[in-house]
Amino acid sequence: MTPRGLLQQRGAIAGLVLVAMVVLPALAAPLLPLSDPALTAPASRMLPMGTPGHVLGTDQLGRDLLSRLVWGARSSVAVALLATALAALVGAMIGILAGFFGRLVDQLLMRGIDVLMAFPYLLLALAIVAALGPGLANAMLAIAVANVPFFARAVRGAVLEIRHQDYIDAARLAGHGWAWIIVVEVLPNLVPTILILMTTTLGWMVLETAGLSFLGLGAQPPQADLGSMLGDGRELLVTYPRVAVLPGLVILVLVVGINLFGDALRDRLDPRLGPSRRREKSPMLAFTPAAESVPGVLAVRELRIRVPSNGGGATVVDGVDFGIARGERVALVGESGSGKTLTAQSLLRLLPTGVAATGRVELVANGSGPAVDVLAAPPATLRDLRGRRVAYIPQEPSSALDPLFRVGEQLAEAVRAHADLGPRALQRRIELLLTEVGLDRDAHLASRFPHQLSGGQRQRLVIAMALAHGPDLIIADEATTALDVTLQAEILALLTRLCTEQDRALLLVSHDLALVAEHCERVLVMYAGRIVEDAAAQILLRTPAHPYTAALLGCSPALGQPEKPLTAIPGQPPTVEELGARRPAQNCVFAPRCPRAQPACREHEPTLAPVGQRRVRCLFPLDAA
Amino acid sequence: MTAYLIKRLAMLPLVLLGVALVVFLIMSLVPGDPALAILGPYATPERLAALRAELGLDQPLPVRFARWLGSLLRGELGHSVSLERPVLDVVLERLGPTLLLAAAALALGTLAGLGAGMLAALRHNRPVDRLVTLGVVLGISLPSFWLGLLLILVFAIWLGWLPASGMVAVWGDGGVLDVARHLVLPAVSLALVAAGVIGRLTRGAAIDVLGADHLRLARGRGVRERRVLMVHGLKGVLARMVPVIGLQAGFVLGGAVYIETIFQWPGLGRLLVDAIAARDLLLVQGGVLVLASAYVLVNLAADLVQHQLDRRTLGQ
Repeated sequence: MTPRGLLQQRGAIAGLVLVAMVVLPALAAPLLPLSDPALTAPASRMLPMGTPGHVLGTDQLGRDLLSRLVWGARSSVAVALLATALAALVGAMIGILAGFFGRLVDQLLMRGIDVLMAFPYLLLALAIVAALGPGLANAMLAIAVANVPFFARAVRGAVLEIRHQDYIDAARLAGHGWAWIIVVEVLPNLVPTILILMTTTLGWMVLETAGLSFLGLGAQPPQADLGSMLGDGRELLVTYPRVAVLPGLVILVLVVGINLFGDALRDRLDPRLGPSRRREKSPMLAFTPAAESVPGVLAVRELRIRVPSNGGGATVVDGVDFGIARGERVALVGESGSGKTLTAQSLLRLLPTGVAATGRVELVANGSGPAVDVLAAPPATLRDLRGRRVAYIPQEPSSALDPLFRVGEQLAEAVRAHADLGPRALQRRIELLLTEVGLDRDAHLASRFPHQLSGGQRQRLVIAMALAHGPDLIIADEATTALDVTLQAEILALLTRLCTEQDRALLLVSHDLALVAEHCERVLVMYAGRIVEDAAAQILLRTPAHPYTAALLGCSPALGQPEKPLTAIPGQPPTVEELGARRPAQNCVFAPRCPRAQPACREHEPTLAPVGQRRVRCLFPLDAA
Repeated sequence: MTAYLIKRLAMLPLVLLGVALVVFLIMSLVPGDPALAILGPYATPERLAALRAELGLDQPLPVRFARWLGSLLRGELGHSVSLERPVLDVVLERLGPTLLLAAAALALGTLAGLGAGMLAALRHNRPVDRLVTLGVVLGISLPSFWLGLLLILVFAIWLGWLPASGMVAVWGDGGVLDVARHLVLPAVSLALVAAGVIGRLTRGAAIDVLGADHLRLARGRGVRERRVLMVHGLKGVLARMVPVIGLQAGFVLGGAVYIETIFQWPGLGRLLVDAIAARDLLLVQGGVLVLASAYVLVNLAADLVQHQLDRRTLGQ
């Protein structure tokens, strides 16, 4: 069992034990050797705890406290259960009708529910008891009514989710009436939801029942529940606190138990809120300055990235090596799942929680700062280089922007992260950046919110943020995938132009080999977490050396060559689980899909070896010197 | 913002009309002769007949509702039998102390709940998180009326630090300090449940928000960690929590009924309990109506604040 399951189990068991401590004696009350809870005995009033025959002593009328607690708990639990069941029944009926029929029925019912929800919770129950008169049955009814809206809303939501499922439509087509469909198809699917709602509300119901009785509006003497005992004991708080304290304690134990159990049950269904996987600490290596001699902007050495998986963890990026020279434009190309995005994110140590990178990502010493190993840098160093020396443009620009802040504020924030500017200088800088990315036409753009911008505008804005500090390297991670084709070309042209003009290096991450090859000088092809080919763009496009590169080119359409046949690559890239189960250097990762694979390919893994002007990870590269 | 405000304000009379309708329907549940129920068994036949005519009991339900609504709009809530005074005067007199108590409790509960929830999310799956999670369960499981009694026992009776009751009027002679001393115990008892609910939901919201891509990518732009958490994280959490806090106002206003009874607080909650005991139905009706209206206004305010925080919430 996973640690998480165990923890929930523990919560559930603790809850059940607490509930049982109260409910079991209450259930067995008639069988237990308890004195009559209503039997008054003026002679033995206020006997202390531990008196023979009265373990917990007696109350102001000489009644046995333990017996009253057990019998009181019996009434409290019974009333709370009945109220829950009634609220669930009525609420579910309203929710089902509203959700199933929609339109006018939904409008009418839910507006009614809305009005009930406009009342402070307890007040509605109080008003009903006031009208009907005090008494346990009326209190139960009042509490049930006050809770109907909660059930109605939740059940309606659940019905809306299943209303258009295939099996419902099928039943309709089969000519069944609505009543049949609700009872046979809808209701059974709602049972788990309703049961969970009941478990999570039961605690409230116990508290409310006790509350009304406490105020004297529920159980009437000689009948008693935990709440009315607590209310009676109030008078004796100064002299005999236990008469009031004990019933409250029993309520607390019962409700804590119910809530612990309910939480464990709900966490099972909504794992987000529960305890989840332990944060995997990324290894903090001793910080060593990188060698001064590395040429260029960036050098990645032996980069390995592990992600958590069912089998405990899988190395999804394995031994990636490459460098980027100053002002060079490099494409990193691969199918989804090839590890290219993780590789790109690790260059800024921006990996998601739980994902750990090892190896070296060296930023070369130059005018903008000393040499740094990004993966081992202390937080302050890391912050200093992010956005200033290396900037990252994500795939989905809207995910890069905070929906709650105006875009101008966010651009200003990106500028201020590394530049301490006065308001006027800041304003000028922002206008300059917006002009650079072609966003200067809309004078009010800065005061808009991200959701008010078009996809293209958002992407330009994120590019402006990336340009804010003139970084040596811009990483664009599928930065145009979410845009339509004309915009794609525009944005790519913009990025290329800005980088060329200002002598910045660009790492363009994409799945589209043909597209990026136009804009880059060099292409790195990635497959299953490895670089399989590294060559100048023009050479690679014309004469691919790795069979995978050739296959990628074979399945992308080329402009002006409509007659070119498209060939899909047979098979699937390895899954995370398969990578997790791999022995080191077991075979060539592409061999299972490779049309040219030889027995040798299945015996050991080739290295990324220089072949002429390029590097290829293949034992039998295509003839292309 | 203005368009949203106008739209919400235009909805307000409709919601209040709905509230009035529900109160009217509940009061029409009173078994037997309402006039007898209101005036009690010792009323003279003349007074009973007069009240029946005033309530229009011989008329059909919709007509009675319309007539009652008309008198509501003229500010007439009827006459309290038990207090021999106009209901409106009594209710307005008692509203102030209740709002003071509820506001103090809600403020306390919000601060504690937001703080604990954020802390738990920041230390997700560490001991602090577990402690908060456990504390939250305890908070939402505590009967507030019992907690109130325990606090009286410990802080008023045993330690003698704070008064258990004796609050007569908010604007009495004792000054602000005296009011504050009387406020501590009831506000804390009332705040704890709200703190539990707010803490639990804050933790969930904060785990979501702190894991959001835009926070990670703000870090990727070199934005300082403190700013990422305290500006982007906090606003994200607040935008999601403000409606929840508005809803908690309902629990606090309802819970005030217990707490005011225990601490002898001169508010609407205690008035309601006394009125129910005295079968003073017109007083109950007036009190419920005013408290529910206050709650509707609080929720309207919460929605407006949320819209200010997150402009994507338009209409609905």
